Amino acid sequence: MCASSVIPGTTLGATRRIRTISGAATGQLARQRPAQPVAWTEADAIRLAQAGNAPAFEFLYKLHGRRVYALCLRMVGNPADAEDLMQEAFLQLFRKIGTFRGESAFSTWLHRMTVNVVLMRLRKKSLPTDSLEETLEPDAENSGPKRDVGAPDLRLSGAVDRVNLERSIEKLPPGYRTVFVLHDVQGYEHNEIADIMGCSVGNSKSQLHKARTRLRELLQEEIRQQAREERKAAKTPSGSLD
Amino acid sequence: MQCKELEFVLESAGLGQLPKDARVHLATCAACQGFLADLNSIVSAAKSLPAEVAPPDRIWISLRAQLEAEGLIKEPTAVLEHSNWLNSFGAWLKPRTLATAAAALLVLAIAVFVTRVPQNYHPGVAKNRPAVESPRPVQSTAAASASPSSTPPVNAPSQGPAPSKAKDLAPSPSESASFTLSQAELDVPDMQLAGNSQVDASLRQNLRTLNAFIAECEQHLKQNPQDELAREYLYTAYQQKADLLAAMMESGRGEN
Repeated sequence: MCASSVIPGTTLGATRRIRTISGAATGQLARQRPAQPVAWTEADAIRLAQAGNAPAFEFLYKLHGRRVYALCLRMVGNPADAEDLMQEAFLQLFRKIGTFRGESAFSTWLHRMTVNVVLMRLRKKSLPTDSLEETLEPDAENSGPKRDVGAPDLRLSGAVDRVNLERSIEKLPPGYRTVFVLHDVQGYEHNEIADIMGCSVGNSKSQLHKARTRLRELLQEEIRQQAREERKAAKTPSGSLD
Repeated sequence: MQCKELEFVLESAGLGQLPKDARVHLATCAACQGFLADLNSIVSAAKSLPAEVAPPDRIWISLRAQLEAEGLIKEPTAVLEHSNWLNSFGAWLKPRTLATAAAALLVLAIAVFVTRVPQNYHPGVAKNRPAVESPRPVQSTAAASASPSSTPPVNAPSQGPAPSKAKDLAPSPSESASFTLSQAELDVPDMQLAGNSQVDASLRQNLRTLNAFIAECEQHLKQNPQDELAREYLYTAYQQKADLLAAMMESGRGEN
């Protein structure tokens, strides 16, 4: 079901292999984390952080920071904003850590906070120039991308270029982008995403499908744009000879 | 099944196993075949993107400063895994006269820390004292590793005076504090501490843990002399060791 290639410098490969082995076990994937040098469990670190223990804060930060930073980076598209948002998300988390009672997984709680911080920032940013397509509420995106069902359209030529994909993800409306990144890039399950986003599982599935369909359109547009540029480049030398 | 219905199926069931009627439709519809192939390509490419990206170190530095400013980080704790016993031990210690002994030891340690140790000090004398148990080698190793240039190796035959080169060099402040505490530690090895073997063992275990932590801090400081956090941890550990030794001595006096 899932690819199991190892990406250097990440734990993606290991994470995906775990999912392949364990099936789509709810909540398991999001809890797979790289090994830490300190022999604490996450629960130990949470308890110590609740008492104000500095190394426990650092442990939790290092345990989850890489995934949170990747999410922020993909959501806002630039490192400076991503750093700012990540710090804000962790600050909020640590301010409220005393209230964490373990009803949901800690990582889900953290991601919910991160997504809220990011969407809040995007909402503030997009306020003056908001368009229908750039709305942030999942329900407002339900109209979704339209496909002319049954009509012939441009096929993506086999493997999708990763640079083009990253660029296209940035162009997605924030609600689609969040669900797509959480599910298809970070490997969360729909029930976890529903928990993080505060929506239903059905809504998460619907948003994901629309995100993929919209991405397909954006990638097709990328291909057309590249084809146009190639044609233009091909014409330029002959024109300069005249 | 029609193309529109297939899209509903893909939306609700994802790209995995499709129902039979959807597969039948796909077999005969080139447009839907292309659509599904494209979505699979996108998902496959998305899975190859890194799910984790290392954030710059400055984020944690800034975050930690903010947490400290807001008082969310209470204080650096020297022996993290044993914070519970330290807290309960401190609570037990406070109302008792043991606090006086702890304060006296601490003052002594600070006095030595400030004025530095006498020039004729050489740690080789420690070899002549009766052995305690496992904490001693840890402490000795720590002291040796903290200042290899000024102290002879513990295992070296050092019955006589220290080499003249070592005599000329005054010990560092941390070395002095470490030495003072080591001297105090020598007074507690053989006494029956609390008249209770479990408490006795626990106190000794705590001392071993502290010694190990001190050794680790000293080793770290040796490698990273500018690490202020490690220095802070080390001094906190010294303080805790002084408290613990005072408690041990008081306990021993009470029982013996």
